[in-house]
Amino acid sequence: MSPSCGNGEEVPIPSKRGEKGFRPLDKSQVASLWTERFGISEEAFQGYRFFAKAQSIWVCSDFPLPALRYESVGMRMMSLKDWPWKPTTSALQIFGRHAKKNVVHLSEAEARAFMAGSSLCLEADCQLGYVVVFYRGEVLGCGLYSRGKLVSQIPKDRRVESCQG
Amino acid sequence: MVPPLVLDPQPGELVLDLCASPGSKTTQISQQMRNRGLVVANEPSLSRISALRANCERLGAVNVAITRYDGRRFPSMLFDRALVDVPCSGEGRARIDPGIWKRSSKRRSLDLQPLQAGLLSRAVDLTRPGGIIVYSTCTYAPEENEMVAEKVLDRSRLERISLPGLRSSPGLQDWEGRDLDGELERCARYYPHQNDTGGFFVAKLRKW
Repeated sequence: MSPSCGNGEEVPIPSKRGEKGFRPLDKSQVASLWTERFGISEEAFQGYRFFAKAQSIWVCSDFPLPALRYESVGMRMMSLKDWPWKPTTSALQIFGRHAKKNVVHLSEAEARAFMAGSSLCLEADCQLGYVVVFYRGEVLGCGLYSRGKLVSQIPKDRRVESCQG
Repeated sequence: MVPPLVLDPQPGELVLDLCASPGSKTTQISQQMRNRGLVVANEPSLSRISALRANCERLGAVNVAITRYDGRRFPSMLFDRALVDVPCSGEGRARIDPGIWKRSSKRRSLDLQPLQAGLLSRAVDLTRPGGIIVYSTCTYAPEENEMVAEKVLDRSRLERISLPGLRSSPGLQDWEGRDLDGELERCARYYPHQNDTGGFFVAKLRKW
Protein backbone atom coordinates (compact mmCIF):
# COMPACT_ATOMS: atom_id res chain seq x y z
CA MET A 1 0.00 0.00 0.00
CA SER A 2 1.29 3.47 -0.80
CA PRO A 3 0.56 6.00 1.96
CA SER A 4 -1.18 9.24 1.25
CA CYS A 5 0.05 12.82 1.57
CA GLY A 6 -2.83 13.45 3.93
CA ASN A 7 -5.10 14.97 1.33
CA GLY A 8 -6.08 11.72 -0.31
CA GLU A 9 -3.30 11.71 -2.91
CA GLU A 10 -0.79 8.91 -2.91
CA VAL A 11 2.82 9.57 -1.95
CA PRO A 12 4.80 9.35 -5.21
CA ILE A 13 7.43 7.15 -3.57
CA PRO A 14 6.80 3.42 -3.77
CA SER A 15 7.57 1.70 -0.47
CA LYS A 16 8.77 -1.88 -0.47
CA ARG A 17 8.32 -3.96 2.64
CA GLY A 18 11.52 -5.86 3.42
CA GLU A 19 13.67 -3.76 1.08
CA LYS A 20 17.30 -4.41 2.09
CA GLY A 21 19.44 -1.71 0.44
CA PHE A 22 19.17 2.07 0.56
CA ARG A 23 17.61 3.29 -2.70
CA PRO A 24 18.52 6.87 -3.75
CA LEU A 25 15.55 9.19 -4.18
CA ASP A 26 15.14 12.35 -6.16
CA LYS A 27 15.31 15.34 -3.83
CA SER A 28 12.23 16.96 -5.31
CA GLN A 29 10.19 13.81 -4.61
CA VAL A 30 10.80 14.24 -0.88
CA ALA A 31 10.77 18.03 -0.80
CA SER A 32 7.35 18.21 -2.47
CA LEU A 33 5.80 16.21 0.40
CA TRP A 34 7.24 18.54 3.03
CA THR A 35 6.35 21.62 0.98
CA GLU A 36 2.76 20.47 0.70
CA ARG A 37 2.35 19.54 4.36
CA PHE A 38 4.50 22.11 6.14
CA GLY A 39 5.18 24.83 3.55
CA ILE A 40 8.93 24.14 3.71
CA SER A 41 10.62 25.28 0.50
CA GLU A 42 12.86 22.93 -1.48
CA GLU A 43 15.82 25.23 -0.70
CA ALA A 44 15.77 23.95 2.90
CA PHE A 45 16.81 20.54 1.57
CA GLN A 46 19.89 21.75 -0.28
CA GLY A 47 22.99 19.94 0.96
CA TYR A 48 21.18 16.67 1.67
CA ARG A 49 20.52 13.37 -0.09
CA PHE A 50 17.53 11.11 0.37
CA PHE A 51 17.13 7.36 0.38
CA ALA A 52 14.32 4.86 0.74
CA LYS A 53 14.60 1.61 2.64
CA ALA A 54 11.70 -0.64 3.54
CA GLN A 55 8.93 1.79 4.48
CA SER A 56 11.07 4.73 5.59
CA ILE A 57 12.83 7.66 3.99
CA TRP A 58 16.30 8.60 5.24
CA VAL A 59 18.19 11.89 4.94
CA CYS A 60 21.96 12.16 4.77
CA SER A 61 24.53 14.87 4.07
CA ASP A 62 25.13 15.43 0.35
CA PHE A 63 28.22 13.25 -0.03
CA PRO A 64 28.79 10.34 -2.43
CA LEU A 65 28.22 7.17 -0.43
CA PRO A 66 31.06 4.65 -0.73
CA ALA A 67 29.98 1.21 -1.89
CA LEU A 68 29.49 -0.41 1.53
CA ARG A 69 26.75 -2.41 3.24
CA TYR A 70 24.97 0.09 5.51
CA GLU A 71 22.93 -0.39 8.66
CA SER A 72 21.75 3.21 8.49
CA VAL A 73 22.43 6.27 6.36
CA GLY A 74 22.09 9.64 8.10
CA MET A 75 18.80 9.64 10.00
CA ARG A 76 15.32 8.29 9.47
CA MET A 77 13.28 11.24 8.23
CA MET A 78 9.78 9.91 7.73
CA SER A 79 7.80 6.74 7.91
CA LEU A 80 5.59 5.62 5.03
CA LYS A 81 4.25 2.66 6.96
CA ASP A 82 0.94 4.21 8.01
CA TRP A 83 -1.47 6.74 6.63
CA PRO A 84 -0.68 9.63 6.51
CA TRP A 85 3.14 9.59 6.29
CA LYS A 86 4.79 10.55 9.57
CA PRO A 87 7.82 12.82 10.04
CA THR A 88 10.32 11.84 12.75
CA THR A 89 10.96 14.19 15.64
CA SER A 90 14.70 14.16 14.78
CA ALA A 91 14.01 15.30 11.21
CA LEU A 92 11.57 17.98 12.37
CA GLN A 93 14.23 19.31 14.72
CA ILE A 94 16.40 19.94 11.63
CA PHE A 95 13.90 20.97 8.96
CA GLY A 96 10.85 21.98 11.04
CA ARG A 97 12.14 25.48 11.73
CA HIS A 98 11.41 26.33 8.08
CA ALA A 99 7.76 25.30 8.41
CA LYS A 100 5.16 27.90 7.47
CA LYS A 101 1.98 25.92 8.07
CA ASN A 102 0.70 23.13 10.29
CA VAL A 103 2.73 24.44 13.19
CA VAL A 104 1.67 24.73 16.84
CA HIS A 105 3.27 27.09 19.36
CA LEU A 106 3.01 26.03 23.01
CA SER A 107 3.10 27.90 26.31
CA GLU A 108 5.60 26.85 28.96
CA ALA A 109 3.15 24.63 30.81
CA GLU A 110 1.96 23.05 27.57
CA ALA A 111 5.54 22.46 26.43
CA ARG A 112 6.34 20.65 29.69
CA ALA A 113 3.35 18.38 29.27
CA PHE A 114 4.15 17.79 25.60
CA MET A 115 7.74 16.80 26.37
CA ALA A 116 6.45 14.41 29.04
CA GLY A 117 4.43 12.67 26.33
CA SER A 118 1.00 13.96 27.37
CA SER A 119 -1.85 14.94 25.10
CA LEU A 120 -3.09 18.54 25.15
CA CYS A 121 -6.48 20.06 24.50
CA LEU A 122 -6.00 23.13 22.34
CA GLU A 123 -7.37 24.79 19.25
CA ALA A 124 -4.86 25.44 16.48
CA ASP A 125 -5.07 26.79 12.94
CA CYS A 126 -3.89 23.46 11.46
CA GLN A 127 -5.09 20.73 9.17
CA LEU A 128 -5.67 17.38 10.83
CA GLY A 129 -2.52 15.27 10.95
CA TYR A 130 1.10 15.66 11.94
CA VAL A 131 2.30 19.13 12.96
CA VAL A 132 5.55 20.82 13.96
CA VAL A 133 5.45 21.76 17.64
CA PHE A 134 7.39 24.84 18.78
CA TYR A 135 8.23 26.41 22.13
CA ARG A 136 9.87 29.85 22.22
CA GLY A 137 10.91 29.57 18.57
CA GLU A 138 12.59 26.17 18.94
CA VAL A 139 11.21 22.95 17.50
CA LEU A 140 10.26 20.44 20.19
CA GLY A 141 9.19 17.72 17.79
CA CYS A 142 6.23 16.08 16.17
CA GLY A 143 2.61 16.22 17.33
CA LEU A 144 -0.58 14.68 15.97
CA TYR A 145 -3.37 17.27 15.79
CA SER A 146 -6.97 16.25 15.57
CA ARG A 147 -10.09 18.25 16.43
CA GLY A 148 -8.82 20.30 19.36
CA LYS A 149 -6.39 17.67 20.64
CA LEU A 150 -2.61 17.54 20.25
CA VAL A 151 -1.04 14.12 20.90
CA SER A 152 2.67 14.18 21.67
CA GLN A 153 4.75 12.05 19.31
CA ILE A 154 7.99 12.56 21.27
CA PRO A 155 9.71 9.13 21.30
CA LYS A 156 9.43 7.38 24.66
CA ASP A 157 13.17 7.36 25.26
CA ARG A 158 13.36 11.11 24.70
CA ARG A 159 10.48 12.17 26.90
CA VAL A 160 11.24 14.42 29.85
CA GLU A 161 9.01 13.72 32.84
CA SER A 162 9.97 16.84 34.78
CA CYS A 163 11.62 19.73 32.95
CA GLN A 164 13.63 22.06 35.15
CA GLY A 165 12.57 25.69 34.77
CA MET B 1 36.55 14.21 24.22
CA VAL B 2 40.21 14.30 23.29
CA PRO B 3 40.60 11.75 20.44
CA PRO B 4 38.24 13.62 18.05
CA LEU B 5 40.04 16.88 18.87
CA VAL B 6 43.34 15.26 17.95
CA LEU B 7 41.77 13.77 14.80
CA ASP B 8 40.67 17.31 13.81
CA PRO B 9 38.22 16.29 11.05
CA GLN B 10 37.27 18.99 8.55
CA PRO B 11 33.89 19.71 6.90
CA GLY B 12 33.56 17.85 3.62
CA GLU B 13 36.02 15.07 4.45
CA LEU B 14 35.46 11.31 4.45
CA VAL B 15 36.20 10.02 7.96
CA LEU B 16 36.17 6.52 9.44
CA ASP B 17 35.29 5.76 13.06
CA LEU B 18 36.26 2.11 13.16
CA CYS B 19 34.94 1.21 16.67
CA ALA B 20 32.09 3.66 16.97
CA SER B 21 29.45 2.57 19.52
CA PRO B 22 27.92 4.13 21.59
CA GLY B 23 28.73 7.17 19.48
CA SER B 24 29.97 9.92 21.78
CA LYS B 25 33.11 10.39 19.68
CA THR B 26 31.22 9.79 16.42
CA THR B 27 28.78 12.60 17.13
CA GLN B 28 31.60 14.89 18.22
CA ILE B 29 33.36 14.22 14.90
CA SER B 30 30.08 14.92 13.07
CA GLN B 31 29.74 18.22 14.90
CA GLN B 32 33.36 19.19 14.19
CA MET B 33 32.60 18.58 10.50
CA ARG B 34 29.51 20.84 10.83
CA ASN B 35 27.35 17.96 9.61
CA ARG B 36 29.07 18.02 6.20
CA GLY B 37 31.14 15.35 4.47
CA LEU B 38 30.63 11.81 5.73
CA VAL B 39 31.52 9.86 8.85
CA VAL B 40 31.42 6.11 8.36
CA ALA B 41 30.75 4.77 11.86
CA ASN B 42 31.54 1.09 12.09
CA GLU B 43 30.36 -1.19 14.89
CA PRO B 44 30.56 -4.97 14.54
CA SER B 45 28.08 -5.76 17.31
CA LEU B 46 24.42 -5.64 16.26
CA SER B 47 23.32 -5.16 19.87
CA ARG B 48 25.42 -1.98 20.15
CA ILE B 49 24.24 -0.43 16.89
CA SER B 50 20.88 0.69 18.27
CA ALA B 51 22.60 2.91 20.86
CA LEU B 52 24.90 4.32 18.18
CA ARG B 53 21.94 5.07 15.91
CA ALA B 54 19.87 6.57 18.70
CA ASN B 55 22.67 8.91 19.77
CA CYS B 56 23.33 10.03 16.19
CA GLU B 57 19.62 10.76 15.61
CA ARG B 58 19.16 12.46 19.00
CA LEU B 59 22.05 14.81 18.25
CA GLY B 60 21.02 15.49 14.65
CA ALA B 61 24.11 13.92 13.06
CA VAL B 62 22.97 13.50 9.45
CA ASN B 63 26.46 13.02 8.04
CA VAL B 64 26.92 9.64 9.77
CA ALA B 65 26.43 6.33 7.96
CA ILE B 66 26.62 3.17 10.08
CA THR B 67 28.24 -0.07 8.95
CA ARG B 68 28.64 -3.43 10.70
CA TYR B 69 31.90 -5.04 9.67
CA ASP B 70 34.63 -6.73 11.65
CA GLY B 71 36.95 -3.71 11.63
CA ARG B 72 39.95 -5.91 10.85
CA ARG B 73 38.30 -6.86 7.58
CA PHE B 74 36.66 -3.55 6.67
CA PRO B 75 36.34 -3.35 2.83
CA SER B 76 39.18 -1.64 1.00
CA MET B 77 38.79 2.07 0.27
CA LEU B 78 40.55 5.29 1.31
CA PHE B 79 39.51 7.75 4.02
CA ASP B 80 40.94 11.18 4.81
CA ARG B 81 41.10 10.38 8.53
CA ALA B 82 40.41 7.42 10.79
CA LEU B 83 39.71 7.11 14.51
CA VAL B 84 40.55 3.78 16.11
CA ASP B 85 39.21 3.87 19.67
CA VAL B 86 39.76 0.20 20.39
CA PRO B 87 38.26 -2.19 22.95
CA CYS B 88 40.67 -2.14 25.90
CA SER B 89 41.10 -3.23 29.50
CA GLY B 90 39.71 0.14 30.65
CA GLU B 91 42.14 0.78 33.51
CA GLY B 92 41.65 4.52 33.03
CA ARG B 93 38.02 4.12 34.12
CA ALA B 94 38.95 2.77 37.54
CA ARG B 95 37.81 5.96 39.31
CA ILE B 96 34.22 5.19 38.35
CA ASP B 97 34.57 1.39 38.39
CA PRO B 98 37.21 0.25 40.92
CA GLY B 99 36.40 -3.37 40.04
CA ILE B 100 38.45 -2.86 36.87
CA TRP B 101 41.66 -3.41 38.83
CA LYS B 102 40.53 -6.92 39.75
CA ARG B 103 39.83 -7.75 36.11
CA SER B 104 42.96 -6.21 34.56
CA SER B 105 46.27 -8.02 34.26
CA LYS B 106 49.22 -8.20 31.95
CA ARG B 107 47.73 -11.40 30.55
CA ARG B 108 44.46 -9.65 29.70
CA SER B 109 46.31 -6.78 28.02
CA LEU B 110 48.37 -9.19 25.95
CA ASP B 111 45.20 -11.05 24.98
CA LEU B 112 43.66 -7.80 23.71
CA GLN B 113 46.77 -6.74 21.82
CA PRO B 114 46.22 -8.77 18.60
CA LEU B 115 42.71 -7.35 18.18
CA GLN B 116 43.92 -3.80 18.84
CA ALA B 117 46.88 -4.18 16.48
CA GLY B 118 44.65 -5.71 13.80
CA LEU B 119 42.21 -2.80 14.00
CA LEU B 120 44.97 -0.17 13.90
CA SER B 121 46.72 -1.90 11.02
CA ARG B 122 43.50 -2.01 8.99
CA ALA B 123 42.86 1.67 9.74
CA VAL B 124 46.30 2.51 8.34
CA ASP B 125 45.46 0.48 5.21
CA LEU B 126 42.21 2.44 4.88
CA THR B 127 43.73 5.93 5.19
CA ARG B 128 45.03 7.84 2.16
CA PRO B 129 48.73 8.72 2.04
CA GLY B 130 49.21 11.86 4.14
CA GLY B 131 45.97 11.17 6.04
CA ILE B 132 45.64 11.06 9.82
CA ILE B 133 44.97 8.05 12.05
CA VAL B 134 44.25 8.51 15.75
CA TYR B 135 44.64 5.47 17.99
CA SER B 136 43.18 5.74 21.47
CA THR B 137 42.44 3.64 24.55
CA CYS B 138 41.25 4.28 28.07
CA THR B 139 43.96 2.22 29.68
CA TYR B 140 47.49 2.67 31.00
CA ALA B 141 48.86 -0.72 29.90
CA PRO B 142 51.82 -0.21 27.53
CA GLU B 143 50.97 -3.57 25.95
CA GLU B 144 47.74 -1.96 24.67
CA ASN B 145 49.20 1.46 23.91
CA GLU B 146 52.80 2.12 22.80
CA MET B 147 53.38 -1.54 21.94
CA VAL B 148 50.39 -1.44 19.55
CA ALA B 149 51.27 1.92 17.97
CA GLU B 150 54.83 0.69 17.47
CA LYS B 151 53.56 -2.00 15.07
CA VAL B 152 52.54 0.52 12.36
CA LEU B 153 55.56 2.83 12.48
CA ASP B 154 56.86 1.23 9.28
CA ARG B 155 53.84 2.73 7.45
CA SER B 156 53.20 5.94 9.34
CA ARG B 157 54.93 8.45 11.60
CA LEU B 158 53.83 9.75 14.95
CA GLU B 159 52.98 13.43 15.37
CA ARG B 160 53.26 15.31 18.65
CA ILE B 161 49.97 16.05 20.43
CA SER B 162 49.35 19.35 22.16
CA LEU B 163 45.97 20.50 23.41
CA PRO B 164 45.97 23.86 25.21
CA GLY B 165 44.98 23.59 28.87
CA LEU B 166 45.32 19.80 29.03
CA ARG B 167 48.35 18.28 30.74
CA SER B 168 49.79 15.02 29.51
CA SER B 169 52.83 12.78 29.84
CA PRO B 170 54.92 11.55 26.92
CA GLY B 171 54.63 8.01 25.63
CA LEU B 172 56.91 5.40 27.13
CA GLN B 173 60.21 4.65 25.38
CA ASP B 174 60.95 1.48 27.30
CA TRP B 175 58.94 -1.05 29.29
CA GLU B 176 60.01 -3.92 31.52
CA GLY B 177 63.60 -3.71 30.32
CA ARG B 178 62.76 -3.55 26.62
CA ASP B 179 63.57 -0.45 24.57
CA LEU B 180 60.64 0.80 22.48
CA ASP B 181 60.88 3.05 19.40
CA GLY B 182 62.04 6.50 20.50
CA GLU B 183 59.35 8.08 18.33
CA LEU B 184 56.71 6.78 20.75
CA GLU B 185 57.57 9.66 23.06
CA ARG B 186 55.21 11.71 20.79
CA CYS B 187 52.20 9.75 22.07
CA ALA B 188 50.22 11.32 24.92
CA ARG B 189 49.34 9.68 28.24
CA TYR B 190 46.67 11.42 30.31
CA TYR B 191 46.58 10.49 34.00
CA PRO B 192 43.68 11.30 36.34
CA HIS B 193 45.76 13.51 38.66
CA GLN B 194 46.82 15.78 35.78
CA ASN B 195 43.42 17.05 34.66
CA ASP B 196 40.94 15.45 37.11
CA THR B 197 39.67 13.17 34.34
CA GLY B 198 39.72 9.46 33.59
CA GLY B 199 43.00 8.09 32.27
CA PHE B 200 43.58 7.53 28.57
CA PHE B 201 46.16 7.23 25.82
CA VAL B 202 46.24 8.88 22.38
CA ALA B 203 48.58 8.42 19.42
CA LYS B 204 48.36 10.59 16.29
CA LEU B 205 49.81 8.99 13.16
CA ARG B 206 50.26 10.38 9.68
CA LYS B 207 50.37 7.80 6.94
CA TRP B 208 53.38 7.96 4.62
